Amino acid sequence: MAPELALGGLQRWLQAVIEAPGPVTRALASREAARLVRPGRTRDVVLPSARLTAAERVGVYQGMYLPRMLEALESDYPGLAHFLGPAAWRRLVRAYVSAHPSRSYTLNELGRRLPEFVRRARVPRPAFCHDLARLESAVAEVFDAAETPSLADTDFVAVAPGDWERAQLVPVAALRLVALDHDAGAWLDSLRDEAHRHPRVQKRRSFLTVYRRNYAVMRREQTPAAFALLGDLVAGEPVGRAVARALGRRRAARLDGADAAFRLFRDWAAMGLFRAVERERSGRATTGPVVRGARGRR
Amino acid sequence: MNRFGLRDLGVGIGLRTVHFGEILAKKPALDWFEVLSENFMDTGGRPLHVLERVVERYPVALHGVSLSIGSTDPLERGYLQKLKALAKRTRAAWVSDHLCFTGVLGRNTHDLLPLPYDAATLRHVTRRVKQVQDALERPLVLENPSTYLAYARSTMTEWEFLTALCDASGCGLLLDVNNVYVSAFNHGFDARQYIDGIPADRVVQVHLAGHTNHGTHIVDTHDGPAIAQVWKLYARLCARTGPVSTLFEWDAKIPPLAAVVKEAAKARAFRTASAATGTDGA
Repeated sequence: MAPELALGGLQRWLQAVIEAPGPVTRALASREAARLVRPGRTRDVVLPSARLTAAERVGVYQGMYLPRMLEALESDYPGLAHFLGPAAWRRLVRAYVSAHPSRSYTLNELGRRLPEFVRRARVPRPAFCHDLARLESAVAEVFDAAETPSLADTDFVAVAPGDWERAQLVPVAALRLVALDHDAGAWLDSLRDEAHRHPRVQKRRSFLTVYRRNYAVMRREQTPAAFALLGDLVAGEPVGRAVARALGRRRAARLDGADAAFRLFRDWAAMGLFRAVERERSGRATTGPVVRGARGRR
Repeated sequence: MNRFGLRDLGVGIGLRTVHFGEILAKKPALDWFEVLSENFMDTGGRPLHVLERVVERYPVALHGVSLSIGSTDPLERGYLQKLKALAKRTRAAWVSDHLCFTGVLGRNTHDLLPLPYDAATLRHVTRRVKQVQDALERPLVLENPSTYLAYARSTMTEWEFLTALCDASGCGLLLDVNNVYVSAFNHGFDARQYIDGIPADRVVQVHLAGHTNHGTHIVDTHDGPAIAQVWKLYARLCARTGPVSTLFEWDAKIPPLAAVVKEAAKARAFRTASAATGTDGA
């Protein structure tokens, strides 16, 4: 009998109704909700008001759930929401939060699994949507990442030449490397075009660094060779080994001489991608830093 | 003065992303800011940078939406640790959240869902408030929620429940005057009775905000100025509490900073006049 529901049961019932899609009458009859309170007995649990029935009062909460999820996800995935348009975006979000309801105290975590979800979802151009979502997810992560002081190019000069071979470059927290099959970056840039002149969706391999400067999230495209080298460095490969691999790669992924590596290091230092140079010891373990970025440099 | 000895911070507004630039550049004439705890617990980017600049100049209080004090799920220890760390980092005057639950079974609806007001719920919430206070090592301040439904099993009014909860747990109150008005409309009780019924010496802070009246019910939308009846209730409360830290909330359709500051400034006149005369001016 509904009025005898313990507090936990009452809470499970209300949550089940709120999370169920569609009008509140259907939500009240959804399997989980109806198991706890028979749809015709809502009034045993919730009082009607002078102007609303018990079901309508529950519907006030239920009706606000999906718009709240839409708003939260759109703040992290504005490009994907715009690409899909309101109807398809709403269908995607409804399916997504049904499969992956929030399990965190913060809505910032809600969209964490959306890139993988959209790849298999019934949306137009799912492979492009997947790329776009991955890029937007990286932007969101970089926005919130911890602020770690970065090395300036003068810090690199301070490293003794003999230390470079076994040195490891430690990336700042606000750095993500994203390889895409479509030019999702250009599409994201076009969001700022008020006339909605978006580029045609087409396949094109692109290799992006997403990073932060002065608290603003930036993107820069890298060549395949630079991206592969940077990926090795970020993964903890010592500089000597990473450069040797870069010089030995095939075709476009091959670095064009050691001078090219030097130029890339200067570029990346200027972008503030590294926070420390550490010395490798016995394969994996590292000693203290050779050079570490100074807090408050920027 | 409240019984906790927590000082009157004056009149403030909520720290919102859209105002970050203006706040840093203009340093508005406000007494304090309220900070949404969850927005700053896991970020190391610009939001935290701005918060640190704000804290250098203004007092702040933390206000959360995910404590879920009424849930039958276990309290999240990790959440409490981060909350405590943020309170320390910002030298928060106090930490508040809502009398509600936000989810169960490990899920979060991110809404402030109503609790039934009965003896069993009172025991449950009292136990959890004590646990939170032990973890935070300070009194918890709880806000009355705006509610759109009432449970058949409730045996007491919301203000009776809050009074009993304060007595049993030692918590403080953040009295949202707009929420009192909203809930009074939705449930058909007298808002003045609510204001007169709460323990005045437990009130640490007041919220004011706008709402949306749908005719059949009112939703607490925080998307505009407060209406005259809410200001009148505020004056009635101030006559009981004396000058109390007051904050104007504006969370949707947020206007330029000056408009929010102007709305907040109205509170200054009300609270001064009411506290001086000991009446609500009615």
